[in-house]
Amino acid sequence: MIKRLAAAATFLLAAACSPAPETKPADPTADSTAYTEIDPSRAGVVTGKVVFTGKGPVRQKVDFAEDPNCAKLHKGEFFNDAIALNNNGTLANVFIYVKVGLEGKKFRPPTTPATITQKGCWFEPRMLGIEAGQPFHAINADPLTHNIHPRTANSREWNQSQDAGADPLIRKFARAEIMVRIKCNIHPWMKAWVGVTEHPFYAISGNDGTFAIKNLPAGKYTIEAWQEELGTQQQEVTVTAQGTETLSFTYKGE
Amino acid sequence: MTLRQQLACFAAIAAAQLFSCSRPQPTPSGVVIEIKSPLGLPRLETPADNPPTSETIALGRRLFYEKKLSADGTLSCASCHSPTAGFADPRRFSVGVGGKLGARNAPTVLNAAYSPVQFWDGRSPSLEDQAGGPIANPVEMNMSHDLAVGRLNADPEYVKQFDGAFGPGPITVLKLQRAIASFERTLLSGNSPFDRYFFGGERSAMSPAAIRGLEIFNNAKRGNCSVCHKIGEQNAPFADGKFHNIGAGLNAEGELTDLGRFTQTKDEHDKGAFKTPTLRNIAQTAPYMHDGKQKTLKDVVDFYVGGGNSNPYLDKEMKELKLTGEERADLVAFLEALTGDIPANSGPPK
Repeated sequence: MIKRLAAAATFLLAAACSPAPETKPADPTADSTAYTEIDPSRAGVVTGKVVFTGKGPVRQKVDFAEDPNCAKLHKGEFFNDAIALNNNGTLANVFIYVKVGLEGKKFRPPTTPATITQKGCWFEPRMLGIEAGQPFHAINADPLTHNIHPRTANSREWNQSQDAGADPLIRKFARAEIMVRIKCNIHPWMKAWVGVTEHPFYAISGNDGTFAIKNLPAGKYTIEAWQEELGTQQQEVTVTAQGTETLSFTYKGE
Repeated sequence: MTLRQQLACFAAIAAAQLFSCSRPQPTPSGVVIEIKSPLGLPRLETPADNPPTSETIALGRRLFYEKKLSADGTLSCASCHSPTAGFADPRRFSVGVGGKLGARNAPTVLNAAYSPVQFWDGRSPSLEDQAGGPIANPVEMNMSHDLAVGRLNADPEYVKQFDGAFGPGPITVLKLQRAIASFERTLLSGNSPFDRYFFGGERSAMSPAAIRGLEIFNNAKRGNCSVCHKIGEQNAPFADGKFHNIGAGLNAEGELTDLGRFTQTKDEHDKGAFKTPTLRNIAQTAPYMHDGKQKTLKDVVDFYVGGGNSNPYLDKEMKELKLTGEERADLVAFLEALTGDIPANSGPPK
């Protein structure tokens, strides 16, 4: 009898003292996903450049007709360079990413935001890379109202107006998507692209046409280049530990 | 005391109570007058128990500008519904007693007499009822009704004026509300360039830009503005008396920060919905929307061109608009043509 009482008392004590798991508030920062840790000693680099051959694109002037206040933000003409040809015959703003080879791996998304800025009634940058789950910030640096409208297919589509001086809009893209077009519903000429990946292995070619995907675990991959007018190209590559693989993508003009 | 005596006493008390409860309502004692609607507005209906009289209107006007009605004597109705700002507040949020900030932009009183319900969320069924709200609201005038009435009863001028308006008797909060409501019924704006053009047949009353703007405003396939901001054949309220979610008031994360009509109805469909405001004298009543976020009419037009802000409760009429820069400017020109005359005798009494 005494034993049973003691057992009951112990049970009660335990029930009273141990935190009940179901009443414990969920920690919103807790993430139980088993992420892949990258070992730099067993990873390499994919680098290279994007070359353009043939006749260069005819530069298109931006028509600010829908909002004359936008034209006032520019001195002289302003160009819409869908094909961003560099002085050295290479292309900028080409999105290069690992398309195949990382299946089954999950990488912790960064907590630092990827930011797009509306300035001069234009998106900066025109090409942005972000990971699914990473914070996306949109800033209005203009003295007028904008509207951010990512035309997503894999994540929930949204649009929101942003008046001058407003706080940055803060969102996330839930799932990978190559490529999300960003619109401004108010200024139809404004266009940007966001490449949403589920890993950090992407790069955007710069003003010298080069790119580098660093810290990529050794293995076989399909690398894709994406250009908004000229389309996609793919190349196979085998990355070795501490090795550097150099690729060259070539787009031909008309 | 016998049982009979007790019963008689009880009956007497009950009768006295009954008498006090069925005391005549404080209806205006003066001669009822008609408040004439200006061009473009419908005939004004007035409540049977509070018909307008010159005395109640004059009293209401004085009360509207009366700072005694606020706790620290610094604010009147006109502090946030200013005659120099289209009877609205040029600040995004009004500042109450002690610097307390309201949560919504003060709407205009102009033509509020035509609104079936009052406040952005429609929580008040009449102008009379509404008039009592801000006096007691802690972030507005922060004054209990009893205290307000007490201050007025202590002022012989007011006692005399109330007696003249409602007949002899103590000043009550209901009399105060009725007087303010009657004054507000005179705050009608019509006869704007639009009214003279559209209802008065005065072809030159509106500029060509404003005329083009009217066409866009009315065209369901272009601006589609009049789907809620109604223009009728005989008159134009520029409102529909209903509640809509246009996505105004979203925070940076895209969440609704003020549930609006939902706070009254608890109906899911009313989340983020607010009363359609009149557009009359809109050029004078910046900033715009319930949260006062849009500073100019161009900002407002741009907001609608963008299709508002997406959220789960967005009104189905909200769509991205395809309008050229000139068409957007035309819409602003039209909105600027909705400024009517502010009635005489609406400013602070001498």
